[in-house]
Amino acid sequence: MASVTKRFPLRARDFLHAGEASIQVQAFLKTMRLDPGLIRRIAICSYEAEMNAVIHGGNGELEMTLAEDRIVIEVRDEGAGIADIELAMQPGYSTADETAREMGFGAGMGLPNMKTHADELELASAPGRGTRARMIFRRRPPQEKTP
Amino acid sequence: MSPPVRETLYVRFHPERCQGCASCLKVCPTKAIRIRGRKSLCLVDRCIGCGACIGACAAGAITAAVHPVEGIGAGHTAIALVSPVLYAQFPNVMPREVLKALRRLGFHHTIDSSIFLEMFQFAAAEFIRRNRTAAEAPWPLISPVCPAVVRLIAFKFPRLLAHVLPVLRPVALMAREVRDTLLPRIAARGLPAVLYYINPCPTMGAMRTPPGSPPLPLTEVSIGINELYPALRRAVEEAVAEAEPFGREGFEFETCTTGNASLVAMSGGEIATMRIEASMAVSGMQETTAYLSKIEMGLFRDVEYFELRTCREGCLGGVLNAVDKYLAKSNIHRMIHIYGLGRRIPRQSILRLYDRGCFHPEQSPLALAEIFADRKPPLTLAQAAEIERLLGELPGYGCGACGAPDCPTFAEDVVRGLAERDDCVWLSAGTREIRSGRRKDERR
Ligand SMILES: Nc1ncnc2c1ncn2[C@@H]1O[C@H](COP(=O)(O)OP(=O)(O)O)[C@@H](O)[C@H]1O
Ligand code: SF4
Ligand SMILES: [Mg+2]
Repeated sequence: MASVTKRFPLRARDFLHAGEASIQVQAFLKTMRLDPGLIRRIAICSYEAEMNAVIHGGNGELEMTLAEDRIVIEVRDEGAGIADIELAMQPGYSTADETAREMGFGAGMGLPNMKTHADELELASAPGRGTRARMIFRRRPPQEKTP
Repeated sequence: MSPPVRETLYVRFHPERCQGCASCLKVCPTKAIRIRGRKSLCLVDRCIGCGACIGACAAGAITAAVHPVEGIGAGHTAIALVSPVLYAQFPNVMPREVLKALRRLGFHHTIDSSIFLEMFQFAAAEFIRRNRTAAEAPWPLISPVCPAVVRLIAFKFPRLLAHVLPVLRPVALMAREVRDTLLPRIAARGLPAVLYYINPCPTMGAMRTPPGSPPLPLTEVSIGINELYPALRRAVEEAVAEAEPFGREGFEFETCTTGNASLVAMSGGEIATMRIEASMAVSGMQETTAYLSKIEMGLFRDVEYFELRTCREGCLGGVLNAVDKYLAKSNIHRMIHIYGLGRRIPRQSILRLYDRGCFHPEQSPLALAEIFADRKPPLTLAQAAEIERLLGELPGYGCGACGAPDCPTFAEDVVRGLAERDDCVWLSAGTREIRSGRRKDERR
């Protein structure tokens, strides 16, 4: 089956360029005329995962794959990793530092939002081993997921 | 895609002056320009009239499709609509002198926009105030003032058209006032009236009426500040030297300038005096596009109002200005120093107009989606995959030698059948083989 994959490098703590990969993903999906509601969900998730890599994680990569039936967003970073994934998933939980909070991050809603908006979220991480967030969005689900 | 042409509604391409340098390709926000046979041309229905290409062209091969400045006031009543950007071109000259100088150039009436800017700002703030708790308006609202921004939204972010503040723009208020109060007064002269918008940008185009359209009570044309400037400068000097009094014909809002209005010529000036709780001002094409992307992503929902200008530093950065934007800004600061800030119009009187619906646009901004939407047919997944594959072969330099603004656009053009693979010098020269020490012919 035909598919397109695009990769974007991410740099740790690069707040100035953070979010640009997601902007490009969003722009690409718009040129492909995907359903606006679907694009919105993807953009939200992609942005949250990208910001997490930049803020909490390390250098890494955002990979988007568009296939006929699905879109997959995978964000990988080589940062410190997450010790307790279940705790990290709790709404409101955040370890964001002072700098990140001053810039308006650290509400602790990133992972919960990814969970709600993606059809599937797979979070793989261990201390010192980096983090990989993989999200799947189905293009023609029997019913559009409306969070 | 539409056929390539040498003239859009807003800009004109002059192939005889074009050096084929590719500067214009890079700055076009909608990637509407290509170079063919070493001459630039435009894919016409992608032009949003921002004027970026005009500013980028050192050869003068791209000009604004504005009305010529000759013959002002000859055989017609000439009415000038003046924005504070014009005043900012003259250091240590008061707006009154500039208006007097315009009369010397043949304009019969000179309308200062201050009052209309103030009315707009009031109406905008009032709209936000009334909808703040109702949560009806999509937040953040986006300023409708810069036409290039609104068209950029219609082209690239159509979903955000619903965020464009539904309040009549200052120029629309100004034109209506002229139609309603000035035109009947001058009708007795029996001459046709021409409304001249003196503009810092080509966003209005020349406003030629399409052939066969019914005759209007007045013609509206747009002229560039830069084209008027040499003559106006001389007239300003004379006006200042003679210190002649303002003509008796003076119309009440013709001479009323305010510091608040001067501010609007620069980035942040629209919102500075609007009394909105959470607002932001962004200027520049790249920055505006980046912020629109983020707004579309759902960020900034706690901001009530965005002032966006595609020109850096605001309208005084428009490509049809005569003086450098930073000089103009310094002129404005000096003007504000003299005028001070403050409103002129009593709140109660504008409130009455607001309640009568006087600020409500007849046409919803959503209608612009029809006119400025991106008309490229959507790519199939197979085409997108082919573009990606081709991109892997391209060097990614974005050199422009192929005539496209960057490698991704070139790859897309090839896949759409609008360009040839060999238009890329790297592909045609088999550069990859050369680099890896193997020539194309050696492989055979
Ligand atoms: N890529 C990552 N690398 C390391 N830690 C992460 C990563 N992503 C999330 N976390 C951890 O999970 C917590 C919760 O993440 P999130 O829900 O996005 O909230 P926030 O980003 O506002 O802190 C973060 O504060 C951080 O401790
Ligand atoms: S910022 Fe001002 S000068 Fe520039 S295009 Fe917009 S309206 Fe015109
Ligand atoms: Mg987060």
